[in-house]
Amino acid sequence: MELTESQSRLLRAALTGLLPGNDAWPAAGELGVEERIAELADLDPDHPAALGTFLDGLPDGFAELAAAGRHDALKAMEFDEPDAFGVVMVLAYNAYYTHPEVLAVVSERTGYAARAPQPEGYELDPFDESILATVRQREPLWRQV
Amino acid sequence: MSVADVVVVGAGAAGSAMAWRLASRGLDVVCLEQGGWVDTYDSVPHQKPTWELSRQTSHHPSPNVRKAVEDYPVNEDHTPIKLLMYNAVGGSTIHWGAHFPRFHPSDFKVRTLDGVADDWPITYEDLEPYYDLNDQIMGVCGLSGDPANPPRSPRPLPPLPIGKGGDRMARAFDDLGWHWWPVDAAIATQDYDGRSACNNCGPCDLGCPLKSRASTDVTYWPKALAAGARLVTHARVRKVTLDNRGRASGVVWVDPDGVEHHEKSKVVVLAGNGVGTARLLLLSVQAGHPDGLANSSGQVGRNLMHHPTGMVTGVFDEPLDGFKGPFAVSIYSQEFYETQAEHPFVRGFQMQLIRSDGPLGTALGGYLPRVPWGDEHHTKFEDWFGRTANLTVTTEDLPNPDNRVTLDDELVDSSGIAAPNISYEVSDNTWAMLDWGAQRARQAFEAAGAEAILQQRLIAGAGFHLLGTARMGDDPATSVVDQWCRAHDAPNLLIVDGSVFVTAAALNPTSTIQAIALRAADHLADSNDTEVAWN
Repeated sequence: MELTESQSRLLRAALTGLLPGNDAWPAAGELGVEERIAELADLDPDHPAALGTFLDGLPDGFAELAAAGRHDALKAMEFDEPDAFGVVMVLAYNAYYTHPEVLAVVSERTGYAARAPQPEGYELDPFDESILATVRQREPLWRQV
Repeated sequence: MSVADVVVVGAGAAGSAMAWRLASRGLDVVCLEQGGWVDTYDSVPHQKPTWELSRQTSHHPSPNVRKAVEDYPVNEDHTPIKLLMYNAVGGSTIHWGAHFPRFHPSDFKVRTLDGVADDWPITYEDLEPYYDLNDQIMGVCGLSGDPANPPRSPRPLPPLPIGKGGDRMARAFDDLGWHWWPVDAAIATQDYDGRSACNNCGPCDLGCPLKSRASTDVTYWPKALAAGARLVTHARVRKVTLDNRGRASGVVWVDPDGVEHHEKSKVVVLAGNGVGTARLLLLSVQAGHPDGLANSSGQVGRNLMHHPTGMVTGVFDEPLDGFKGPFAVSIYSQEFYETQAEHPFVRGFQMQLIRSDGPLGTALGGYLPRVPWGDEHHTKFEDWFGRTANLTVTTEDLPNPDNRVTLDDELVDSSGIAAPNISYEVSDNTWAMLDWGAQRARQAFEAAGAEAILQQRLIAGAGFHLLGTARMGDDPATSVVDQWCRAHDAPNLLIVDGSVFVTAAALNPTSTIQAIALRAADHLADSNDTEVAWN
């Protein structure tokens, strides 16, 4: 789906309400992911309509509201249009947590390697059988038939 | 037109084992699969930084979300548990976590031991040699010596690393005096039979470029094809046909262009999973079979069983790196597996340690509740991501004839064939087990020192095991197939998937499904001309 300029502005404001920024994390609305969200919505035939319902349901002047006002409006939307809200939330999280800038923060804050799992995989210590010492003392606990 | 010895419907866990065994025994085998070969090796989602997105779309485990042309939709309006399945060469093993436990001997005698449901007409000992054979083909890792299970042969491969979370929970189980053991998994922990050793990347469900996680397209199928089995992909079977003596004569299948074909055979084997096989039997209405084929007992489609699963998550004060290692397999506890008088339910459950998700999976929820939106989002995310371990409460689901698969009146697949409709309710016994089990899981996390414990009573997306809809038994009045998986109504029609389960146990069923299929294959190959008209 293609977003109008007005829809993009609304979505940007909504994204920042859903995933606000702080000293460490960027706000979702600052990442320029609106078009990406529209692309992601196109992957499911029901999602463009849900995104449209969500944007149409935001109150007039939503983009100009202060943070508390946006939060209240989004809460109301979550209550009134739970299905559409749920779709947009998933789209927002999908776009946010696959954005390189966000993955870099995840890496910095948690130690997670911000890369694909393959081809490197991960090193783990091999299983050490000595940890079984206690449970190996158990009598059989399966029932004989 | 040539007539094959055997046509197998479905190229998944059971169909592949059946095709290999029969072809190896010299029979002419044709397998029809409605999906195709899937490239889960050269190009997998988790080679890209956006890998987690694919779980929402192309690699989602639900056919209703994936909506691939090879899939068939499922009406899930009347079930709290949503179905997971995959249609391809390899079937649902393409997307699975590869946990590979065996049933207990008691699982086959639930009526005798516990006075519920029915006994199976076979025993653990009947299946044991086939469990062993299957473990070799699938390349199973693990460790023998588990006190919760009968002694078993040395595992072909050593156990998986259990990670920091596994280590912490193992010590907690020890402190509580509870059983635990490293899992058996169909994952190559060392190079094995042309497959490379697992590198602990995590998302086994998205495919395995190393082929370390077994799926039957890399285990059974190369061997089956080498033995002479023929595999026809994108062949959607819509009906089993009968001859004028009431014996199976083949199947009608539809190609992607909508053209119908009649594959004739001396024996028909159905291996389409507990929903797909029931659907096909119900679709096979014909003269003398107004309620579908093999259904004189009225049991086809009934007694649908899953493994209703709850999830309890512990949040710890240190990184556990739970995103490292095969996501579904680490350690399990079968402390509460067998029926015990002091439990407020009959039968039992397993607790299985599940590792944790990547960043997007964590945020979206799955094992955990969804990370809330708004001001607290980032704090919660940092509290949870990489710091959690999860215990399933995987329960035994007793058969209920009202839990069933029927044909939907409106919904159809891409070939216009009626889709399955699921009616299913979780029983009071199961709810009691889920709730009591969740308390035990909480106890385990408390013993492990978790800072917070979160709980989901029932995981909606846990319909990965589809069992019981063409049950096995000695009595044709109450069952669909006999102990050799032959339909009571047509002895040259076999059903070898999870449909034939009499009860579900509380364990992942794939190794048992495949062992049953291999046993049925040997019996079929040994059959004389009176039982099966080979000549």
